[in-house]
Amino acid sequence: MTFLRRIPWLLVGGVALGVALGLVYTWIVSPVTYVDAAPDALRSDFKDQYRVLIASAYQADGDLDRARARLASLRDPDPAAALTGQASALLAAGDPDGSAYALLQLAQAVQPPAPTAAASSTPTIIVVPATMPPTDTPFITDTPGGPPTDTPSVSETPFTPTVTPFLSATPRPSRTPTPTPGLPYALAAQETVCNANLLDALIQVQVRDAAGYPVPGVDILVTWDGGREHIFTGLKPELGNGYADFAMTPGIVYSVQVASGGAPVEGLEAPTCEAGGVTWWGSLRLVFQQP
Amino acid sequence: MPRWIKFLIALALGIAAGVVYGWVLSPVQYVDIAPASLRTDYRTDYALMTAQVYYADRDLDAAARRLTVFGSDPPAEIASQALTYAFQNNFPEADIKLLQELASALQTWQPAGGAP
Repeated sequence: MTFLRRIPWLLVGGVALGVALGLVYTWIVSPVTYVDAAPDALRSDFKDQYRVLIASAYQADGDLDRARARLASLRDPDPAAALTGQASALLAAGDPDGSAYALLQLAQAVQPPAPTAAASSTPTIIVVPATMPPTDTPFITDTPGGPPTDTPSVSETPFTPTVTPFLSATPRPSRTPTPTPGLPYALAAQETVCNANLLDALIQVQVRDAAGYPVPGVDILVTWDGGREHIFTGLKPELGNGYADFAMTPGIVYSVQVASGGAPVEGLEAPTCEAGGVTWWGSLRLVFQQP
Repeated sequence: MPRWIKFLIALALGIAAGVVYGWVLSPVQYVDIAPASLRTDYRTDYALMTAQVYYADRDLDAAARRLTVFGSDPPAEIASQALTYAFQNNFPEADIKLLQELASALQTWQPAGGAP
């Protein structure tokens, strides 16, 4: 008790009360206000709006450097993945404002280039173990693979903050053409995929541009007697940005074509596969490429 | 020294410590801000992007809607502010023209269901 009597309660109480008052003032009455915030601090839905606007502006002016600088201000770890993911979510919701294509187009433009040998590589079919769900694991890869290393990432050219407005140094948009237009896609390869681990008989489509790079956001039209459906590449980025698939019903004959043009591939039907005395419905793999 | 003076000194020290902690060491963190809090150059760039898209699609309603993210100011006012900033900071002439065109169009724009 003697010890307690020695504590200067008045001083301790004064300090404690002062700290409390100071915190009330700085956290509640007059907190730090961010009036000069950067886009990376935006709320998630505003970031989505920002990305859509960046993509729309890129569609309008074709200035990829400016689009990259704008995307960098959002500080997404992987800008291309963020754009693709947002486009996927929009397409899943019916793309109410029609901005998914712009997002996919910009995603394609900003993604790191594929290895130069990709254009001439031969696809290798890899069958995943039976215990793994087929949609979680890529079963089609291009060889040779590996992450690209020859192009600097966006993070190496960070957005320049306030000293001078970053736009002042940016040249006038040159209205260069966007990468997607070109000759119609043509069927480059068609093969049967006998993978017993696939739950459905799939039409697996891969779309590549003239240089062999996968192209996301391509509208693929699948038709059959009495029906039609549109599928889009890039919605399963884990299987490649140029990949799309469609589940066939065995016995029905399908026709597939790139909706923007090109000859349809007709007479497609779920093939029968057999191995070890077991029979199952296989899949078809179609590769479309710009000539 | 009277005790009440000691108390006031302690109180002042406490307030100073609280202010330093609350404003410097652990300020309120804003991670989900609205576009109205963006720095002026980013706001201007946002308006410029809107102007670029407007130049391509000529959809003035959409352009005005995009600018409403900055709060209650009329879209024309926001575009004018962006234009002023662009002038003051020597933006490329082409960008200034885009902003001028948007600001000019928004001066006469009226929202579909009411007054501007």
